[in-house]
Amino acid sequence: MKDSLRRTLWISRVTFLEAVRQRFFAFLLVLSAAMVLSSVSLRVFDFGHGELKFIADFGFGGMFFFGSVLAVVMTAQLFFSEIDNKTALTLLAKPLSRPEFLLGKFFGAWAVLGVFVLVLASLQGVVLWAREQELIAAAEQAGRIPTTFSIVGLCQLVLLQWLRLGVVIAIVLAISALARTFLFTVVVGSLAVVAGQLQWIAQDAFLRPTDSPAYAAFLWISTRLIPNLQQFNLADALVLGSSAVEEGALIAVCLSGLAYLAAYLTLGSLIFRQREI
Amino acid sequence: MNSAISVRHLTKDFRIGIRGLKLRAVDDLSLEIPRGQVYGLLGPNGCGKSTTLKVVLGLVSATAGEISILGEPSATSAARRRTGFLPEAPYFHKFLTGRELVRYCAQLSGVAASDLDAAVEDALGLAAMKEAAGRPIGTYSKGMLQRIGFAQAVVHDPELIILDEPTAGVDPVGSASIGRMIHAMRDKGKTVVLCSHLLGQVEQVCDRVAIMDRGKLVLEGAVEDVLSRRDRHVMTIEAMTPAARSAAEAALEAHGAKITSVTHPRRSLEDLFRELVTGSRDA
Repeated sequence: MKDSLRRTLWISRVTFLEAVRQRFFAFLLVLSAAMVLSSVSLRVFDFGHGELKFIADFGFGGMFFFGSVLAVVMTAQLFFSEIDNKTALTLLAKPLSRPEFLLGKFFGAWAVLGVFVLVLASLQGVVLWAREQELIAAAEQAGRIPTTFSIVGLCQLVLLQWLRLGVVIAIVLAISALARTFLFTVVVGSLAVVAGQLQWIAQDAFLRPTDSPAYAAFLWISTRLIPNLQQFNLADALVLGSSAVEEGALIAVCLSGLAYLAAYLTLGSLIFRQREI
Repeated sequence: MNSAISVRHLTKDFRIGIRGLKLRAVDDLSLEIPRGQVYGLLGPNGCGKSTTLKVVLGLVSATAGEISILGEPSATSAARRRTGFLPEAPYFHKFLTGRELVRYCAQLSGVAASDLDAAVEDALGLAAMKEAAGRPIGTYSKGMLQRIGFAQAVVHDPELIILDEPTAGVDPVGSASIGRMIHAMRDKGKTVVLCSHLLGQVEQVCDRVAIMDRGKLVLEGAVEDVLSRRDRHVMTIEAMTPAARSAAEAALEAHGAKITSVTHPRRSLEDLFRELVTGSRDA
């Protein structure tokens, strides 16, 4: 068990080093950071909502979108570079099991996404804090109650976003284990992310009565096979306190995310064990 | 238990295309590769030798047949722990230095932390890569890539080393260097399985050979046995005059023997190249 963890760790380490050296990662990180910073100058377009909400929506939107792109494309690229360049042959001829290889890829990619989320969230926190101080000073002068944001909520959101991206990476790895090409994996992985964002529609439909058992079965399978990625988007409630988060809801979301993550990694490992390299 | 690799009735089919047409890559192959020898697996491209090695290493599953490595069922972690592998045209992460790669492979192969530094330096020394070990792999020549690949294959001191086309694309000097590494492994009592279609090199380094064609074994045996023609003899004669030749022919005919050809001995182009190029490099 200890040896297995160690081998997984070495694969993760090299995967992380390979990923952070990619220009694609640097490009998306810079682009997302620019989006967070530009939210300050674009806040005049807040459409009547609070300024902090606009800044938060803009920044977290960038983190969500570019994080998803990075999770899909980078994970597929890291997997297929090992297969296409045949480095996987060298590694898998050693006493390294295929689940260890896949888990190593997962943790390496997840660590990179952790850096991505942490950098962007830190930047977002600084931007929100700076604007909050200005708004507090202006509110005190006007005798109004100032708008504030929660640092603890921001930290919770970072963890939720990281977990959400972990689920996406696990799905993409399961697809990669089955797929033959990088392009197929990216297309199907992207569709899976979109389906995850829209999964709540299937949940709503499933709760409504229907006469068709086939349709009900389809909805039942869809709502269990596809994770609800919307459940991780609690930025307004956690960071801006727009609504109360029910007690235990955060834990339920985290457990659901971890369950999907484990299920897709297990599925990916089972498929990858049968794959001929 | 004397076999390093035992292959019994191995068959491997690949399914190709949407209709799942069957392509038989290896057809009822049986091989016993003895321990402590250099064994050459020969054959033209597509004859099934690389597929055989992949099945032996558990990278591809067999359609039928049984394989064991050093007495262990192949494809188990225990078997792979005692095996080193250099794939054909190896590609490694370009951002790692040679030393980092060998260290990484040693860690994956289960070398204990206390032995790690010594194992890495030994493997680099054996592959004559100590000087270049600090450079990123992206800067290596083809020959250096093969040598660092050899170092990563032997860093955990395996009993069995499998080399798939180790000299493909390497110049004769580099090729000779790899040949010396193979001999060094044999001298240490290791078993080396060499898969190649460079017959000259195989003849020089291998103790036994197996020749495959269209997935089947067509010949197997000791190199000396399969190459020598017991009904023919070669003599090398110095300062032979026409008169001496006539006398020799008459003497042989008197005993019922006959000279069928007389030629001048030649050295191989590879020997000439190595002599000239290595000589100029040494100067």
